[in-house]
Amino acid sequence: MKNFCSSVYSWVDERLGLAELQALARHKTVPWHAHSFWYYWGGLSLMFFVLQAVTGMLLLVYYRPGPEAYESVRQITYDTHFGWLIRSLHSWGANLMIAAVGIHMFSVFFMKAYRKPREFGWWSGLGLLGLGMGFGFSGYLLPMDELAYFATTVGLDIPSGLPVIGSKMAALVRGGLEVNEHTVQRFSTLHVIVLPLLFLPLLGFHLYLVQRHGNAVPPSEESKPAAQRQAIPFFPHFLMKDMVMWLIAINLLAVMAAIYPWDLGPQADSLKPAPVGIHPEWYFMSQFQVLKMLGHWVPGKAGEFAGLGLFTVALVAWMLVPLYDTSRQAGRRARNTTVFGLLLLLATIATTIWGYLAL
Amino acid sequence: MNYPFWDVPHLGSGWVIGVIAIVHVMISHFAVGGGFYLVLAETKARRENRQDWLRVLQGHSKFFLILTGVFGAATGVGIWFAIGLAHPEATSTLLHNFVFAWAIEWVVFMVELTTAAVYYYTWGRIPDRLHLKVGWVYAIAAFLTLFIINGILTFMLTPGQPWLAVAGTGLEPSRFLQALFNPLFWPSLLLRSLACVSLAGVWAMVTCARIDGGKFPETKTALLRWSARWVIPAFALLPVAFAWYLWNVPEAHRALMQLGVSSAGAGVFSQLTRTILIIPLSSASVVGVVYLFVWRSPVEVKLRHAASVVVLAFVATAAAEYGREMLRKPYVIGQYMFSNGVRVQAVSQLNTNGYLGGSLWNRPLPGQATAAEQTLAKGEAMFRGQCASCHTRDVYRSMKRLLGERNREGIGSILKLLHDYGEDSPYRKYMPPLVGRPDEIEALGDYLASLTQAPEKASPPSPALATR
Repeated sequence: MKNFCSSVYSWVDERLGLAELQALARHKTVPWHAHSFWYYWGGLSLMFFVLQAVTGMLLLVYYRPGPEAYESVRQITYDTHFGWLIRSLHSWGANLMIAAVGIHMFSVFFMKAYRKPREFGWWSGLGLLGLGMGFGFSGYLLPMDELAYFATTVGLDIPSGLPVIGSKMAALVRGGLEVNEHTVQRFSTLHVIVLPLLFLPLLGFHLYLVQRHGNAVPPSEESKPAAQRQAIPFFPHFLMKDMVMWLIAINLLAVMAAIYPWDLGPQADSLKPAPVGIHPEWYFMSQFQVLKMLGHWVPGKAGEFAGLGLFTVALVAWMLVPLYDTSRQAGRRARNTTVFGLLLLLATIATTIWGYLAL
Repeated sequence: MNYPFWDVPHLGSGWVIGVIAIVHVMISHFAVGGGFYLVLAETKARRENRQDWLRVLQGHSKFFLILTGVFGAATGVGIWFAIGLAHPEATSTLLHNFVFAWAIEWVVFMVELTTAAVYYYTWGRIPDRLHLKVGWVYAIAAFLTLFIINGILTFMLTPGQPWLAVAGTGLEPSRFLQALFNPLFWPSLLLRSLACVSLAGVWAMVTCARIDGGKFPETKTALLRWSARWVIPAFALLPVAFAWYLWNVPEAHRALMQLGVSSAGAGVFSQLTRTILIIPLSSASVVGVVYLFVWRSPVEVKLRHAASVVVLAFVATAAAEYGREMLRKPYVIGQYMFSNGVRVQAVSQLNTNGYLGGSLWNRPLPGQATAAEQTLAKGEAMFRGQCASCHTRDVYRSMKRLLGERNREGIGSILKLLHDYGEDSPYRKYMPPLVGRPDEIEALGDYLASLTQAPEKASPPSPALATR
């Protein structure tokens, strides 16, 4: 048996160069220090993305975008064998993926891992988060139940506040003046074709950069002499630990899906009034609450415009952080950036909680 | 009913038992498997003259004594309180049938508690061979408690025909041995024994993870790998034991596992299917984490990592225990007593004479109460007696959510379906019949309608809604 396996391995190795890949993996190391826990979150985000792709493909076997969208999701949830499970895994997985990417982003930020030469890693990561939220927003409408319909209607009303292009952009995405089956078809195309086509190359680029530059170490570790720094081989040591984290995360996902299977609300009816307490997913709640507050203080389109302006400024500032905080030495800019990150994190958490309390 | 109804709002009385019982199972199974772990590890350490192991084992026996002697015993007593309040009729039946078994169990339990303390306090104070003998006495006594309790627990799902043939005649104790060694006894004993072995290894990692890997890498590696050996084979055999267990479960109960295959919507009894899905995943994850981390990199294992394994094992245990409880539906004692405490044999009598007639525990209403208030009070008593052992008004298995937008007429239709208990009723598979006189059932309907505040003239629900 051992000889047979060895022969098979040699046959494949001769053609694909497995030994070279192994040597490459053995040479790659991961820094090992008190903050190494945060290195797992990139791998967790990737694992959740793979799960989303697998469960998404399974859902696509039964999902029918357009006028039959609701009925097809009803069949998946209530008629198809384990359809409820796949849908629940996909829905909970989406939330956990966004959470993992968010944690990954803030851990990268506070470890100052955006500094030279990792600026493109930071930008591609932000692009992936943006696309991930795009997956979330477009996927939310696909069941076309009451909550999805009204939340998307509210969500698409926000960009229409932009002067000149706002209403045209919203109409283009909606496929008309209001959310309907054409919107579902457009969102479905976005969700399963356009966004993956953008996401996958960007993900490949991001992973290439991680491979090229390796894991960054936090400033506290960087200040130590090289001899005092520790590292472990990526293969198999870190990969084993990564897999342990994946197992724990899969368990969490399975428990969520089994205990709280994702429900399907009543079919969307545009003639009905919006249900009380309509709100977006938790990862849009902060922006939703800020817009509500601004709408309260500055009524009308001006409030929406102010909100969009604020988000744009914050996003641009967040993106430009690597160009501002460039020095490896502790200094004013490094401190300012950390304070900015802390304030943004606290504001996001506070407005999210506030948003839920205000429902 | 001759006992007061224990109404636990929002959570339900079943979950009070559940929370205590799941913690208890985690600890009590460790108490059984851990005894063998300690005595076998001590034997190995003495044979190989490994003083480093003995020091760790002494510390582990302290952790063991505190966890099992305090928390295990406290949760055990907690279960008694909780089942006595939540299921007084079932507890009474078990006590009347198994009083001798429990008497033996308590004697054995006293031996277990005593020897656990003696084992810990006599490290290095008595001859090594005697210390090992104390350990063996403990391990055997602990296993005997499992042996007896296993018989009573499995009796609740499969009491067996010999006992059922005399049930309700007063001759039940004459079938004591047949009831104890019921059809599920041996498969369940194997399943639980394997769980005990696994949990012994899982909990031992908590102690071993605290060894300083920098100073004592060899000791930490050897002991963690020794502990891992307890986990991996046991989990590998669990599917076989589980299959044997299911093979002996009556077909009607096995069929419950399939109810959630195609739907997990409200009103479908899908909890069992959903729970069972978690068991293999969590069990496999325990094996995976133990192999990938504890076995491969033992020196790096910290307390938090061992705690992660305990949490995963807790998830598997919780799912297995919850699943076992759900598998009994619609009974609390198979084919003898329904999950709301109504005896199968008493159904027709309660339908004729009334459910509340014999109850001393109805809430008295003030003399000036109106007829409507009296009806609602009667309906509430019916709810507490026949529904509240599985449902709450508003949170867990919420009646408000399950009844949805049904009006009074729609609620009446469901109650009629439950009362008639026809062979083709979708509820018959997992719900007890609704018993009582027509006026009591009407009162229950009024009470449930008052919970949902259903509009009077709304249309009756569609057949699809009635089963969802």
